[in-house]
Amino acid sequence: MNLDYLWGGFAIALTWQNLLIGLIGCFLGTLIGALPAIGPINGIALLLPIAYTMGLPPESTMILLAAVYCGAEYGGRISSILLNVPGDAGAVMTALDGYPLAKQGRAGEALAISGISSFVGGVIGAIGLALFAPILSSLAIGFGPAEYFVLMIFALATLGAMVGSQPVKTLIGCVLGLMLATVGLDATSGAYRFSFNEPELGDGIEFVVLVIGLFSISEALIILENQSAGVTMIRKLGRMMARLDDLRKCVVPTLRGSAIGFVIGVLPGTGASVASAISYTTEKRISDRDGTFGKGDVRGLAAPEAANNATACGAFVPMLTLGVPGSGTTAVMLGALMLYNIQPGPLLMSQHPEMVGGLVASLFIGNFFLLALNLPLVNLFARVLTIPNWLLVPGILVLSIVGVYSTNASTLSLYLMLAIGLMGWLLRKLGFDMAPIILGFVLGDVMEINMRNALAISGGDISIFFKSWISLVLWGLAIAVAVLPFLLGRRANRRKARLTLDAEAQP
Amino acid sequence: MLNVTRAAAAALLAFIVANGAAMAEPTKPECLAGAKPGGGFDLTCRLAANSLLASKIIGTPMQVTYMEGGVGAVAYNHVIGKRGTDGNLITAASSGSALLIAQGKFGQYDESAVKWLGALGADYGVLVVAAESPYKTLGELVAAYKATPADFAIGGGGAVGSQDWMKASLLAKAAEQDPKAMRYVALEGGGAVLTALEGGHIKVGSGDAAEMGQHHKAGKVRILAVMAPERLPGDLAQIPTAREQGIDIDWIVWRGYYMGKDVTAADYDWWVEGFKKLSATPEFLAERQARGLFEFNMFGQDFDAKVKADVARFKVLAKEAGL
Amino acid sequence: MTTPATKDGVAGRIGAAALLILALAFGLGGATIHYAFASDPLGPRVFPVALAGALALLALLYWRRPGGAEEFPHGVLLLRILAVPGLVLLSVLLLEPAGFVVSIFVLTAGVAWIFGASVRASLIGGIGHALLWWIVFVKLLAVYLPPGWLFA
Repeated sequence: MNLDYLWGGFAIALTWQNLLIGLIGCFLGTLIGALPAIGPINGIALLLPIAYTMGLPPESTMILLAAVYCGAEYGGRISSILLNVPGDAGAVMTALDGYPLAKQGRAGEALAISGISSFVGGVIGAIGLALFAPILSSLAIGFGPAEYFVLMIFALATLGAMVGSQPVKTLIGCVLGLMLATVGLDATSGAYRFSFNEPELGDGIEFVVLVIGLFSISEALIILENQSAGVTMIRKLGRMMARLDDLRKCVVPTLRGSAIGFVIGVLPGTGASVASAISYTTEKRISDRDGTFGKGDVRGLAAPEAANNATACGAFVPMLTLGVPGSGTTAVMLGALMLYNIQPGPLLMSQHPEMVGGLVASLFIGNFFLLALNLPLVNLFARVLTIPNWLLVPGILVLSIVGVYSTNASTLSLYLMLAIGLMGWLLRKLGFDMAPIILGFVLGDVMEINMRNALAISGGDISIFFKSWISLVLWGLAIAVAVLPFLLGRRANRRKARLTLDAEAQP
Repeated sequence: MLNVTRAAAAALLAFIVANGAAMAEPTKPECLAGAKPGGGFDLTCRLAANSLLASKIIGTPMQVTYMEGGVGAVAYNHVIGKRGTDGNLITAASSGSALLIAQGKFGQYDESAVKWLGALGADYGVLVVAAESPYKTLGELVAAYKATPADFAIGGGGAVGSQDWMKASLLAKAAEQDPKAMRYVALEGGGAVLTALEGGHIKVGSGDAAEMGQHHKAGKVRILAVMAPERLPGDLAQIPTAREQGIDIDWIVWRGYYMGKDVTAADYDWWVEGFKKLSATPEFLAERQARGLFEFNMFGQDFDAKVKADVARFKVLAKEAGL
Repeated sequence: MTTPATKDGVAGRIGAAALLILALAFGLGGATIHYAFASDPLGPRVFPVALAGALALLALLYWRRPGGAEEFPHGVLLLRILAVPGLVLLSVLLLEPAGFVVSIFVLTAGVAWIFGASVRASLIGGIGHALLWWIVFVKLLAVYLPPGWLFA
């Protein structure tokens, strides 16, 4: 196997600028993860335009965003353990055993154990990514327009798993994203679509405007609405070191969690929340002989934490090799590539090996940074949780405005951002998830252009979509993937339901 | 602080350099690129900005600003509406801009709404096939296309009505085919045209000499003809023009600049003279070479006439093509 | 006790109806896109129209099972929530004429107050934000932001 891209990547990731950028990203990521108000997507949405305006080269921007993504998966555990409020979606399961541990006065130990299992999960995920990416991308060389189109079908077919319980809403979100992508100049016929004679809409809706509207503006409103709910923070951390005995108990659960997390991360569309739920329930079924899970069992802490970090790395596999996001956050990162005029897809690895390699190498380095940040400095991040919302939310709004304004210095974009934010808030209140909209938006252009180019080549004959073996395999996978996550999701839901029943049954 | 001192020093230097000239040197020279960094307009701006400073024709560094939208339409409207008198500002344009103006895609304004300043370089259209393609000359290709037009998918890096499409439509017309019936595949830039040729998805590619010349040299594609009045210098010297092969189709992609309509004559003349002087300096020749452009110097009234003639010609072409 | 199930349903139904209207408008807009001719068999209209059709179908499915909505805020809370986008709008209006610092001060102080801070704390917070972000963006990162009349 050819791993040259990775060694080249280390050369890029180890330059002092990129090391510094990675370290800043890890720090900010942990912070973003720790704050219950914002998760990795919001964090990346806010940082992306700033990185772009500062003129960072694409590989440095990707290193920054990847560091934030991984950092957020580390940081999410802090508020789960101390507040019983998950810092992000991937840390929901961490609270189940983490908070009871903290109530027993063992918060410091819980933070240490979960920090170490996060590290193991992250490193295993990064190894998996480094080995898996070249294999998948070597398969992807023979892609023409027809194959790309079927690939997009496959990507959309995986959507069912993204939210799971409400497939109709997921699909509506995706169609809305595809519709937003049609605005502007049609790349094939040169016609303007839905641009209302507004030159600024001629190039379509700016990706940054959409992401910040959907994730930051609407988030601010959600935070305001939920802020009345009272939480108690556990301030006594206890000893900050993990017990050797506990660590020994956690070895196997951590490895199992990492494997589960990576595989689920690779599946397009399924993110950290699904991975940590499945890994927690699996671990509970295998290891919970004395009924200690949910009462502060370290194994119930280690498994989901390892899983959500491995998922973050796994999600990069389809993103880097096929141009299909493995999670909502990687969908935003794909959009970041397009901002730099880099076309994601099967040729990404051969055309931009420096970027792919730098990104993968930075994940290895980043995990060491994160371990260092999250063990001795965890106190600092814990203190961040005491920042009141009335200071935090205005900051988010300022970053949103600056982010949108700085990419194109236009107030029209700001009005658009505001309108999209309000729409996003309404949709969220109706129980819609924002990630499918982003996914549809990112895939929309690619899907339409390739479909039409394929038909232009064949002269309108649709058999072109079934000609190559690549297309046939992708059709098969699309059908399999559309059905499989429904089954998995139903199983996970059933288990979740059983868990909450158990938890309610116990005083 | 440092910046202030440096700017002051530069201004002083500029004063000394410009002292001989009667016309006003711009104090804050700026080049507006109507796209994202990294595209053709950016390249055009950098060509002027770097070589003007290196040859000391301007003393203050020229700032390159970006205003994305409508392939230059937003910038065009901005200059007309808000910067019409700004003698510091030049804006990048290309033959593609003239094509869009001809098709009415620059909004309500036509080509006489700005002052055309000059062009500093050009690229030329080329028609390419894959390296293993059976066609060796343009004549063979045209004959084969004429025989079975439905078999020829032609790819280019732009939508219907773009320069690449226009080049392809000239080929179709040479083969006595209706451009509307042409099987044209709109791809994302020259890189995608190359991939599609290599993958056998399209049979003919339409592109620009500078970019395709590199792939030709590397043996990935074969350029059948350059759409220039005369053979190009350098690596492409062996490739015959379309005219030599008896098919009269030219496509020149000039890269130039315009200013607001109401800039003073002194400002406009300063820029025209500056460009004339620039075009002879070794710094400029090196910069143009580095940007992969061919010689094409045309300034002031000549250039203005060229743009207007281009727009008129494109209007005819677009009408013939049914756009 | 309220009956969340029915309330859910109403909100979902309204959402489904709005989506259906959007689908119709989008489909109509898509079917009338102006273009000279297309080089591909589908042209620029087919994809948007197909999407409109898909959305209409999904909206009808949603109408049948409109559950899953959270309870919408009302009364004072709704006013407070709507005040946030209102303040964002105000600060965008102020951004170019009054400049970044003023606009950010209005936004951050106002939002802090809506989030329950005292008037004094809001004002101090607003000044702090304005200063902090001005230093970070204008001085450290050299991002272009309108200076406005205060710093022009």
